[in-house]
Amino acid sequence: MEKKPKKIGVYICHCGGNISDYVDVEKVRQSVEGEDIVFIAKTTMFACSDANQRDMVEDIKANDLDGVIVASCSPKLHLLTFRNVSVRADLNKYTYVHANIREQASWAHSDNKAGATEKAIHLVKAAIAKSRYAEALETNKVKAIKAVAVVGAGVAGMKAALSLSEKDCEVLLIEKEPFVGGRVAQWDAIAGTKESGKEMVKRLYDEVIKRSNITIMTNSEVIENKGSVGNIALKIRKIPRYINTSDFKPEELKKAVSVCPVEVSDEFSFGLTKRKAIYESEPGEYPQIPVVDMKNCTRCGACEKVCKAVDFSEKEEIVEFAVGSVLMATGFDPYTPAQGEYGYGESSKVVTLGQFKQMVADQNGKLMHNGKQVKNIAYIYCVGSRQTEGENTYCSRNCCTATIFSAITAKQKFTDINNYHFNRGIRSYGKQEIMYADSLRQGDIYLQGNDDNLPEVIVNGNKTSVKVNDILTAGKEVEVDADLVVLVTGMVPRADHSVGTLFKLPKGRDKFYTEVHMKLRPVETAIDGVTIAGTCQGPKNIAESVNSALAASTKAYSILSKGELETDPQIARIDAEKCTWCGACEEACPFDAILKVEKDGKTVAEINNTVCKGCGMCAPVCEPDAVNLIAYSSEMITSMIDALA
Amino acid sequence: MAKINPAFGKELKKYGAVNFNACYNCGNCTAVCSLSTEDVSFPREMVRLSALGLEDEITSSLKPWECYYCGECSTHCPQEANPGELMMSLRRWLTAKYDWTGLSGLMYKSLPATIVAFILTFAAVLVFAFMNNFNLDHIMHVGHLFEAIAIGTIMVVIFIPNIARMWYFTVLRGEDKVSVKKYFSSLGEFFVTMFVQKRALDCDDNRFRWFEHFILVLGYLSLLFTTVFLDWFSTPYLAVNIFGYLVSAIVFVVTIDFVGSRIKKKKALNKHSQPSDWFFVIWLFLMGFTAFFVRLFIDLDIIESNKWLYIIHFTVLVQWALIIVPFGKWTHFLYRSFAMYFAKLKEK
Repeated sequence: MEKKPKKIGVYICHCGGNISDYVDVEKVRQSVEGEDIVFIAKTTMFACSDANQRDMVEDIKANDLDGVIVASCSPKLHLLTFRNVSVRADLNKYTYVHANIREQASWAHSDNKAGATEKAIHLVKAAIAKSRYAEALETNKVKAIKAVAVVGAGVAGMKAALSLSEKDCEVLLIEKEPFVGGRVAQWDAIAGTKESGKEMVKRLYDEVIKRSNITIMTNSEVIENKGSVGNIALKIRKIPRYINTSDFKPEELKKAVSVCPVEVSDEFSFGLTKRKAIYESEPGEYPQIPVVDMKNCTRCGACEKVCKAVDFSEKEEIVEFAVGSVLMATGFDPYTPAQGEYGYGESSKVVTLGQFKQMVADQNGKLMHNGKQVKNIAYIYCVGSRQTEGENTYCSRNCCTATIFSAITAKQKFTDINNYHFNRGIRSYGKQEIMYADSLRQGDIYLQGNDDNLPEVIVNGNKTSVKVNDILTAGKEVEVDADLVVLVTGMVPRADHSVGTLFKLPKGRDKFYTEVHMKLRPVETAIDGVTIAGTCQGPKNIAESVNSALAASTKAYSILSKGELETDPQIARIDAEKCTWCGACEEACPFDAILKVEKDGKTVAEINNTVCKGCGMCAPVCEPDAVNLIAYSSEMITSMIDALA
Repeated sequence: MAKINPAFGKELKKYGAVNFNACYNCGNCTAVCSLSTEDVSFPREMVRLSALGLEDEITSSLKPWECYYCGECSTHCPQEANPGELMMSLRRWLTAKYDWTGLSGLMYKSLPATIVAFILTFAAVLVFAFMNNFNLDHIMHVGHLFEAIAIGTIMVVIFIPNIARMWYFTVLRGEDKVSVKKYFSSLGEFFVTMFVQKRALDCDDNRFRWFEHFILVLGYLSLLFTTVFLDWFSTPYLAVNIFGYLVSAIVFVVTIDFVGSRIKKKKALNKHSQPSDWFFVIWLFLMGFTAFFVRLFIDLDIIESNKWLYIIHFTVLVQWALIIVPFGKWTHFLYRSFAMYFAKLKEK
C-alpha cells in the first residue's frame, strides 16, 4: 500500500528575544514553509506558553497532522513538554522532533546574526529530514517481580528491609556473616543517642523477625545473578551453623565451647579478645544461636563429644530466588594501620579507635592499659583517610565526631584523664558541632597539623610521646607524653567485594560503589535495578546510612511497584540477517545488553531490551552494519546530515 | 619544644578565667580588637597559650598588659569563651608571677586569706589606738607618718624587686639585646602610659571610661600628694584645703560609677568581677570618702567627738597601703606603665 505523504507542523520560537534578537525567525519560517511535508509553519513568541501549546493541539487536530517540530531551546528543557503536546493531540510522542536554535544558534552566534539565521535554517531543515522518518514507537513493557534482595544485614540493610516490608513487597535479607548487625553491633555508646549500638541492632532485628514478608538468611552469600531489572535470578550459597537448633542445650554448648582447642583473634572485640572455632553469640549479635566457624575448625571432634547439638552432617545449600531488584548494603572495613604507622604494632600503647571504645566500655573505675593507669590520651585523626601519600584521599566523615564523642564518654567515666586531639581540622558538621563545643568545655585540647605537617609518634623505650607543629600556636612544636595513643582509623571499602563484582557495580575513585549522580540520583547505580545504601557507597555515619537505606528502598520499590516496567523504545536493534556474530558489539556495550543467541541455526547477537539504554556504542563497531538504533537509524541520520550540508 | 600542661588552665581559673578552653580558634576576638596589630596580635594567641598551658611563653609576654579590656572580644566570641576576661586573669596571674613574696597569688586565689588580712589590719589599728588611749592628735600624726613610710618601704621592698623580675622575664630573658640608648629614648612611653593611658583611647567606644579613669588617676595621685606632702588634715592654707576637698570628692564620685557598673554588669568587662576588683574600687571609694569627711569634721570642729571616723579612715588607709597596693589590683598602675615601656624597648 502506498504510504500517504506526511503532514507536519513547524513552530519557530522567539523565546522572548533570546532567539529572535539574533535569528531572523520569520526568515527561518519562510525558508522552511515550502518543504514538501511541511503543512503549517508558524512563529511564536513563547512556544512553551500554555496558549501556544493549546494552539498546537488545535492545529494538529484540525489539520490532521502526522507530527510537529518545535525549533526553540535545548531539548533538555522542553523535549518532554512538546512530546506531551503531541500526546494530548492523540499523536504518538515519538513523532515529535525537536530543533535547538537557541543554545546552538542564537546564543552561540550572537555576534553574527546572518550566520545564526543561516544555521537555524539548516537545523530546522535537518529536523524536518528527521521527521520524515520519525515513527510511532511503543514503550517496551516487562513484568516486574515485586521482591527485593537486600545484601548485607547491618543497620542500613535491616532498615531498608523494614521499609520495603511495609509495602506489598517480598524482602530477602542476605547476610554473609553468621550474625546480623554489621559494624554497629560492635559498639556500645554511640553519638547522638542514649541507645547503644548493640541495643539498636537488637531493636531492628526484633522488628525484622516479626515481619512475615522478610526472609532473613545469615551465613549466606550471593554467588550468581542472571537476568535484569524486574526479573533477577539469584543463586545463594547458605553455609550451615553446624548446630542443630531443635536439640539445643545451652550448658552442653558452653562445654563444647570450652573444650574447643582452637583460639583465634575475635574480630567482634576489635581483636582485643580471643574466641574459639565454635562460639556463642556475643550480646548484640543476632540471631543468638551459636555457630561453628569452619574456616578455623580443625574437625578434632572434641565439641561433638560433649554436645549433641553440634552436627557436622549439615550441608551447604544453594538456594535460588527471583527478585525484581537488588539493594546493596554491604558496608565497609575499618582501616587497619600499616605496621609502624604512627607506632602501630611497635608500641603496645598505640591502639585503634575501635579498640579504645571497647576499652572504655569494658572498664570501670580507672582506665588501665597493660597494667598501667591511663591519664594522657592522644588521639591521632585521619589515620587512613585524607592521605597525602596513599590511596585513601577521601574523608571518612564519621571519625571526627566518633572520636570527640568517645573522648567525652571516656572523660565522664574516668574523670582524671586528659584528652589531646591531634587533628587536621575538625569536621564535626551539623549538630555534631555541639559535641565539639562540649569537648572543648570539658577541657580537651585540640592540636592541629596539616598535610605536610603530620603528628609524629615517638616510641622511646617505655615512653611514648606525640608531637606536632601546632598551626593554632603559630606552628610551635608541642609535645604530649601519652599513656595511650588512639589512632582514629577511617573507613575503607570492603576487601571482599565479590558481590559487587558479580553485579558489575561501578566503583568511584575512592573504590567504594558509586551512584549515578551524587545529588540527583544518589542511590541508583549504572546497573538498572541495583541500588546502593549505607557505607558500601562511601563513609557515612549511622544516620546518613539510614537515610540512604530509606532512599534506596523507596527507589527499589518504586521501580517494581506497578508490577510492570516500561522501558524506552529508543534502543538498538539487530538485523539478524546481516549479523555474523563477531562479538564487537558485546565488547563495546557498557551495559551488558548484548546477548549471544542461536537463531534459525545461526549465532547472532540479540538486544536485551530491558537493559539497553540506546547509547549507540554498538552501532559504529558493527562491520556488517547489522545494528540500527531505533529513532536514530542510518537513513535518518544520513538525511539529516544532507539537510545540514 | 613545649610540653603541654593542662593543669595551667585549672590554676588560671582560680584567677578568674571563665570558660576560655571553649575557644575553637576562629580568631574573631583578634579581628575585632582595636588594639591588636599584625605584629602584636591578641587575644586569641593568649587564649591558645593558656589552653595549652605554655607558662614560659605567657610569663615572657607583655600582651596581657597591652589589652585595655573594652570587652568587644568577649561580646563577639561565638563560643562564649570570654577572651577579655582571660586577658584580665592573665594580668592577675602575671602580677602574682612577678611578686617575689607570693602574697599576690595568695590574695588573688583565696578570698578567706584576703579577709583575714583585712581583719588583722583592722585589729592592729584598734590595738594601736587603744594603746594610745585614743589620743586623736597622736594617732593622726602617726597616720600621716605611716603614709610616707609605707610608700617608701613598699617601693623598695616590693615594687623594685618585682619590676626587676618583670624586666627579667619579659626583656632580659628575651633573645634580642636592648641598647642602653633605647632605655632612655623609650622613657616617654612609660610616663605617657602612667599618667595618660593614651593607649586606652584607641579602644572602641572608650572615651568616657578613659576620661573617668584619667581624672581618677589624677585625683588619686593629687590626694596622695595633698595628704602626704601638703599635710591636708592640718594645713593652714585655704587653697590646699579646698584642693584636698576637690580631689577627694573626685576619687569617691568616680569610684561610685565604677562600683555601679560592676553591680549592673551591663558591659562584658563588668560581668566577671573578682574579689580583687571589688576591694580595689570599694577601698578607693572609702579612701576618698573618709578623707573628705575627716577634713570636713575637722573644719566643723566635731572630729574630737567623732574619733571613730578617723579610726575608720586610718584602717582604710592601712589596708590600702599594706594589702591592696602591694599585693592587689593597685599594681596594674605600675605594671601597665612598665609593660608599655618594655614593649617599646622590644620594638624593632
